[in-house]
Order: sequence, then structure tokens, then C-alpha cells
Amino acid sequence: MKIFFIWLFLISMSFAGDATIEVIKKVDTLPSLAVEDATVKYDNAIKMLFFKSLVADLNVISIFNVDGHYRNVDFSASNVVVENKDMKYVLRYRIFEDDSAAFNVEIKLLKDNSEVLSKSYKANKNEFYMFISHAIAFDINEYMGEPSVEWMKRKVVFSKNTTPKKTEIVISDYTLTYQHTIVSGGFNIFPKWANKEQTSLYYTSLDSKPTLKQLDIKTGQTKAIISSDGMMICSDVSVDSKKILVTMAPNGQPDVYLYNVDSKKSTKVTNYSGIDVGGQFLDDNTVVFVSNRLGYPNIFSQKIDTGVVEQMIFYGKSNAACSVNGEYIVYKARESSDAFGNNTFNLHLISTKTDFIRRLTATGVNEFPRFSKDGDAILFIKNYMSQSSIGIIRLNHDKNYLFPLKQGKIQSMDW
Amino acid sequence: MKNVVLLSVAVAVLVFSGCSSKEPTVDGSAQAPVVSGESSKSSMASESSEGRIAGIEKKLSTIYFDFDKFNIRPDQQSNLSSDASVIKTEASDLTIKLEGNCDEWGSDEYNFALGLKRATTVKDALIASGADASKVTMVSYGESNAVCTEKTKDCWAKNRRVDFKVLP
Repeated sequence: MKIFFIWLFLISMSFAGDATIEVIKKVDTLPSLAVEDATVKYDNAIKMLFFKSLVADLNVISIFNVDGHYRNVDFSASNVVVENKDMKYVLRYRIFEDDSAAFNVEIKLLKDNSEVLSKSYKANKNEFYMFISHAIAFDINEYMGEPSVEWMKRKVVFSKNTTPKKTEIVISDYTLTYQHTIVSGGFNIFPKWANKEQTSLYYTSLDSKPTLKQLDIKTGQTKAIISSDGMMICSDVSVDSKKILVTMAPNGQPDVYLYNVDSKKSTKVTNYSGIDVGGQFLDDNTVVFVSNRLGYPNIFSQKIDTGVVEQMIFYGKSNAACSVNGEYIVYKARESSDAFGNNTFNLHLISTKTDFIRRLTATGVNEFPRFSKDGDAILFIKNYMSQSSIGIIRLNHDKNYLFPLKQGKIQSMDW
Repeated sequence: MKNVVLLSVAVAVLVFSGCSSKEPTVDGSAQAPVVSGESSKSSMASESSEGRIAGIEKKLSTIYFDFDKFNIRPDQQSNLSSDASVIKTEASDLTIKLEGNCDEWGSDEYNFALGLKRATTVKDALIASGADASKVTMVSYGESNAVCTEKTKDCWAKNRRVDFKVLP
């Protein structure tokens, strides 16, 4: 019996931290948190937008049972409002304008009616209120000692189709609340951040011969990087930004190439007469990519030096896109051959070490999975009932959130 | 302890990015006044060339494909033969751009590659029929160049295609 319990313990420990294991957390086991607005005087519309954004962000960090009621209070009041007296945590904030008309927010986090955290935030315009809201949620998550949600502060870049052969490239926050069109008036697709600082991005221009361009978003300078007949897409950028994986087709044959940013030289990585696309760095010497070499799209890996190819996914008959983070691969699998059903493409997560698979989505067309840099979350595009949304999956909390795009259809995205 | 968190760096990047929108393409030649007889002639010649190109494009039939396939369907063979004939005879001095397209089933790179393989299949067939390979270029537009946007099988079938564009 003793041995049995030791085995049980060892098995449970071996699964601890495995993202392919579904985490079932009952809402009522999470600590409660209420939000109190102590703003004295500010534009009412912005006030309410900020409150909603804050509640949404606090929900997304998934560590509280958040009360969504709007309540007013004096910032220096010694007690929380009576309706919140049973709340474990209360986040109290006030918005105010300074002499430069900047958007200022001061917060205090109360635990059992005692202040445990206080901070101040500032943005130069109130139209950036959502970035303050994301920063507050990030800081509270840090205070609670939870794994970092750094991705919450990162910017999303996406392209959207406006009319046939016309697109816009847009920079937004992760909720699509803030949107700034950065490239318009052409046919530009597949934007990809060129560095972890998010100061530069690659995109494909199809206005003439397919060309990879790089845009410095600080200076607005654009330069052509490399062109190819047929296809030219940047699929992944190395951690040090010095190498990129591109899909090119100089002879009409799509293959994965490794492009050295400094030397400007490209090396062919894959070599198959069918389709090889979507290269992703698994490590310095291994590329994961999508290929139809078995007669249907599936996920493979290839060593760059030896060329040894290995099949990575053994489930599903159409796995046409993936994203890699450490031992984990999230991939898009076709669920049905009925293109008009309500469940056509779903995302699955697999560990290359255990082969366990976890289905992450259930309805609609779910594609373009992108791991956050820390692997904590997956961003993806969902198209369902004629609406395009960006979704976030919190792997360790088993929660999905959707942020719809008001107009247009998202073509691709990166964060 | 109070920390003032300045978001100005992140925000400044977004503000500065307002300067970086791509300039719309301006056709400079359209603004140049025509002041000499020679210019008028070249203008007329250009119009004549454009008319010829438009005429050839009208004779070229779009090639359609089955779902998730890039082989030429039997019912498309006659159109392809006719296209090859036009390209060899009337367009032998012009460049042919093959535009591969897909339905909206997926917006990833694989879909773009599928569009390209469709264009490649058409190009191979044209070359096999005697067309000059150096005069044929290809591009894939994936699902981003739909001619039909309804969510029906017939509509999607119209989007799985290779279009011909004639370039001077």
C-alpha cells in the first residue's frame, strides 16, 4: 500500500507543470476581488471604458474571482464599500489629469481591508488607457507571486483584408481595444515582429514580386530584405533576431529557408517536391515545419546540419499550422471535411516528451496559433459566425478569452 | 512604496508609428502634361498596347481546382489548351503572370503554398505546350483575392483558381 502511494505521488509529480494536462480550477476556490473607482472628476466615457478594461484584464490573469459591479468610493476611505466587505481583495483606483493633460492612475490593493500594494501609472494620452489597465493587472499578478504575464504588455501586429488584394497592417494591444494602422494602401500580409523589443517588423508585400520588407516603427523607414517569385513569407525570427526562417519559392517550389540577417545569405533547409512551409525554430539546429510529404499537411522537424526529418504529430489527417515553445507544439488540426459545419479547425497542444494531446478549442475555425515567449499563453485567430476574433488561451488556467475585430477579417498576426 | 510607472516608451513607439504609414502609390506619369506630338504618339501607342493586353486577357480562361488539390481537373484541360494556344501565338512577346488563389478554408502559409502549387501546375502545363518559361511568373494570393465572398460551396469553388494577367 505504501509503495502504491509513493507511485501515485511520483506520477502526480511527473505531471506537475505539464501543459498538456487540463487544469480544472473551480471558480469558487479563487480569492474574490472587487474593483472600486475613486475618481473624483474625469470624462465619464473614459472612466467606464477603463473600469471595464481593468475588470477584463483581472479576469484574464485568471487568479481571482472578479466581481464586475461598478462601485464608487473615496480614495482615502479607511474601509471598503459595504458591498465589498466580504471580498478578500479590493482594487481601488483613481484617475486624474495633471498639468500636461496626461492620463494618471493611482491604485491601492487592499487585502482584508489593509493596503498591501500601491502604485501610480501615467500615459501621455487617455486613448492609451488600456495599456495602463494591462500594466496594473500585470503588477497585481506579480504581487500575487504568479507566473509572469509579460505577454499582456506586448503589442499584437496583424494584417486584415479590407477588399480583395488590399490589406492593412495594424498594431494593437492584446485585446484589440487600441488599434493603430501602420501600413495601408497596398497588399501587405504576414506581419512578424523582427525583434523581441517590438521596434521593427517584417511583412510580405505582394504589390509586385513577393518581397519581404522590414519596417522600423520608430523611424517609419521601410527596406526590402529579399524577394522570391511565387511566395515570400517570414515564418519565425530567432531569439537573437539574427536569423529568420522564410518560406520562399524561387522556382515555384515552396520550401523553408534560413536567412542570415547580417550576411544577407539564405540557405535552403527543406527539400521536398511538394509543400514545405511555416518553419519555426525548435532550437538552434532544429526547425519544425508543415509539409504534405505524406499526402496531407502535417508537422515535421528537420535538423539543419544533417537534414534528418522526423514526423512530430501522429494524430489527425490535416495539421496545417503550428507554433513551438520548448517541448510543446500547438497545432491546427482539421476536425471535419464539412467546410460548412461549425467545428472545422481546432487547436491541439502536444508535448514532444510525453505525446499527450490536449484539445484547446471546440468550435469554429481556430488557426494561427502563436505561443507567448514564455509559453504561458497562446494567441490565435478565431473565425466563427462571420466574425473574426483574436483569442487567448491561458494554458495553466484552462481558460480561453476572445476579443472580436469590429471590421474586416484577420489574415495573420504575431505578438 | 510608490512606483511611478511611465508607459511613455511603449506609447511613444505607437505615436511615432503614425509617421510610418506607407505612402499610397502615385502614378507620376499621369501628372505630366503632354506637350509635343511625340508624347501624343507614345500615349496613343501605350493605349494601343493596353488595349491589346486587355484583349488577350479576355481570351484567357481561368483554371479552377478541386478542394485541397492542385492537379488539373479533366474538365479544365480544354480551357488550359486554349490558354496555351493564345499565350504561344498572341502573347509570345508578353509576360504572363499566373495568380494562384484559394478558398477561405484556412489563412495560413499552407493555403498560400496551395495557391502557388496551382499556379505551378498551370505553368508546367503551359511550358509542356511550348510556352516560353522565362515569360511566365507566378504569385500566390492565398485566400486574400476572393472573387466570391458568400459562404456556399459554389462560391468557394470560384475562388479555387488560377487567373492569368498579361504584363507588357
